[in-house]
Amino acid sequence: MHIVDGALALPVLATGAALTVAGVAIGLKKMDYDHLPQVGVLSAAFFIASYIHLPIGFSSVHLILNGLIGLALGWAAFPALLVALFLQAVFFGFGGFLVLGVNAVNIALPAVMVYYLCRHGISSPSPKVAATWGAIGGAGSIVITTVMVAFSLMLSGEAFLLAAKATFVAHIPVMVVEGFVTAAAVLLIRKVKPEFLGIDEERAYG
Amino acid sequence: MGNFARIILAVCLLLPGLSQAHNVIGGVYAIGNTIEGEVGFSNGDMAAEGTEVTVTDAAGNELAKVFTDAEGLFAFEASQRIEHHFFANLSSGHVLELTLPADELPETLPGGAVVGTAQVKPVSANFSGDQVALQAMIEKAVAKQVKPLRQELAAYKEKAGLQDIIGGIGYIFGLCGVGIWWRERQKEKQREKDNASVS
Repeated sequence: MHIVDGALALPVLATGAALTVAGVAIGLKKMDYDHLPQVGVLSAAFFIASYIHLPIGFSSVHLILNGLIGLALGWAAFPALLVALFLQAVFFGFGGFLVLGVNAVNIALPAVMVYYLCRHGISSPSPKVAATWGAIGGAGSIVITTVMVAFSLMLSGEAFLLAAKATFVAHIPVMVVEGFVTAAAVLLIRKVKPEFLGIDEERAYG
Repeated sequence: MGNFARIILAVCLLLPGLSQAHNVIGGVYAIGNTIEGEVGFSNGDMAAEGTEVTVTDAAGNELAKVFTDAEGLFAFEASQRIEHHFFANLSSGHVLELTLPADELPETLPGGAVVGTAQVKPVSANFSGDQVALQAMIEKAVAKQVKPLRQELAAYKEKAGLQDIIGGIGYIFGLCGVGIWWRERQKEKQREKDNASVS
C-alpha cells in the first residue's frame, strides 16, 4: 500500500503533496477539537496496524483500517493518517518522505469517501444493516485505495491494468479481513460508545 | 453466511505469491568479475522469478538487463571497472535501486574513469595464472561464507523494534497533547476577553 520513493514521477508527487495539504487543511478546519483524543487514538491504531502482519496461508497481510478511520473521523482522517504515515516512514522505513503526499491521499481520500457513502448506513436502527455497511466501508476503502495506487503508478508510466491487477489481487485478503474487522468494530462501537461514530443514540435504538 | 465466509477464506489461502511486505531490500556484491545481487522483501519473501533488473552505468546508460532466478538472485558479468547501478521494479510501487562502487571490482578489469581509487597497481610479472585462479577461488569461498551474514544483517536492519513502535505512539499522543493544550489556551484567552468586556 505504501509506494516507495523513486517509483513515481515528479508531477504525481507534487499533485499528491498539494492534495494532501488541501485535505489536511479541510480536516483541521472541520475537526471538532473535543474529539482530538479520538483522532490521536485512531492515528496510533493505523500506525501500529501496518506493522502487525497476520499470517494468512502463504503470505501475510496487515490491516490498513482506513475505512474505520474514515467512518469515525470524516475529514479529520487526513491529518490523522498523515501524522501516522510520517511516523511510519521515520520509524519503520515504510514508504518515503517524497511520496508522503501521494500515500496520504491514496489512503485518506478513500477514508473520506467511505465516510460520506456509509455514514448513513452504519447508523441504521438494524444492527445487521449497520454491520453490512461497516463491512462495505471497510472493504470498499481498500478497493478505492488499490485503484488510486494503480492510478498513481499509471501516471508515472506503468501500465494501469497491470498495476491495478497486481495491487488488487494482492489486497483481496486485506479487503475480506478489513470488511469483517470494520463490521465488528461498528457493531461494538454502536453498543458501547455510539458517539464515537457520530451516531445519535436515540436514532440507533429508537 | 458461515459457508460464504469459509469459501472466501479458502480463496485467500489459495492465492499464492502475495507480497504484502512494504520494504524492498537487496544487495549487490562483486565476486571477481561477476556482480551478484539479490532482491526481496523485508518479510523474507524473495522477488518473483524472472523479475527484470536493469543495469546502468553512473550516467544512466543501460548496460544490460538481467533476470532474477527462483531465489531472487541475479548475476551480471562486469566488463568495465565502473560504478554499476541496478534498478528493479517489483510492481505495486515497489522499486529498488542498488549501487556497486567501482572499487569493489577487481583491478584487472579495464577501468572507466575511476576517481579517488586511481592507484592502479601494475600487475607484477610473476603473477602467474595459478595465483589468479587461486585468488578467484578464495573470493568465491569468502563470498559464500559471508552471504548468510549479509542477508541476516540486512533483515536485522529492516526490523523495527518495540522501541520504534512505542516511540511512534508516543509522538502521536504528544501531538494530541500539544493540540489540546493549544486549544485550552485559545479558550482561556477567549474567556479572559469575555470577562474583560463584561467588567
